[in-house]
Amino acid sequence: MSAQAQYKNGVRVSERHGAGEWTLEKILLALMMPLGVWLLSTAFTLAGAGYDVVLQWFASRLNAGLLVVTALVFFGFASLAWKVIVEDYIHRPGNKALLLGLLNLIFLALAAASVFFIVRLALGSAPLPAGFGI
Amino acid sequence: MSNPTGDAADDQTGRFVPQPNGRPRPLSPHLQTWRWHITMTASILFRVTIGAASVGAIFVVAWIAAAAFGPEAHAAALDLAGSPLGLLVGFGLTVVLFSLLLNGGRHLINDTGAGLTITSADRLSSIAIYGPVPLAILFWVALFATGRVSL
Repeated sequence: MSAQAQYKNGVRVSERHGAGEWTLEKILLALMMPLGVWLLSTAFTLAGAGYDVVLQWFASRLNAGLLVVTALVFFGFASLAWKVIVEDYIHRPGNKALLLGLLNLIFLALAAASVFFIVRLALGSAPLPAGFGI
Repeated sequence: MSNPTGDAADDQTGRFVPQPNGRPRPLSPHLQTWRWHITMTASILFRVTIGAASVGAIFVVAWIAAAAFGPEAHAAALDLAGSPLGLLVGFGLTVVLFSLLLNGGRHLINDTGAGLTITSADRLSSIAIYGPVPLAILFWVALFATGRVSL
């Protein structure tokens, strides 16, 4: 089914980097805790807010910076968490690799889009599609 | 159970082992073997939460994108969010966020090896399961009371 397991000092190589992935997932989840509370307070502040209020909120470097960090931490955590879930239920190597690749692609695209939009809003750029010659 | 070899025939794991009676059986028991316990509900709900939060994140990114696309797009997004269906989705998103915090907190505590006695594991699981909906209701009561959201 899979390639021959590789060993280093009598320990499977996969068992070495598997722990690092687990630790990273835990660190990202731990970071999500304060960021999640901040996200709740932000949702409360911005619920029903008009365009000007939203632009004012994004103009704050702290708000924009925290939102970028939140997006990166969340999508990083989601990628690892989905990997755990997929590996638990999908056992055919081809399907598993395809699904994991697809999910990572989606999370990467969402993270990149978040950063792009947030940076534009923080810098007070003209509304899209300005700058794209459309 | 009519076809005891059916599962083994579709074995994707290579974990089926022949039993003394000659029938192949999975190596370790699964959900149908264990007596149901509240910690299992919390664990499953955390996976559901991660799935729901991933979908919810798409809504949040869409809202940020709408703001980046200017006043008209933002107004359209605000209209959608203020519609009955939009408010329902918004309520669901707050339930998911509270669930991510409470259930994620439970997971982190248990990951350190703490809170694993039966009493405390049960208590942490109960908080993670029953906490999010009341907290989300309180959150939305506050939203309506402060006039940020109205029907």
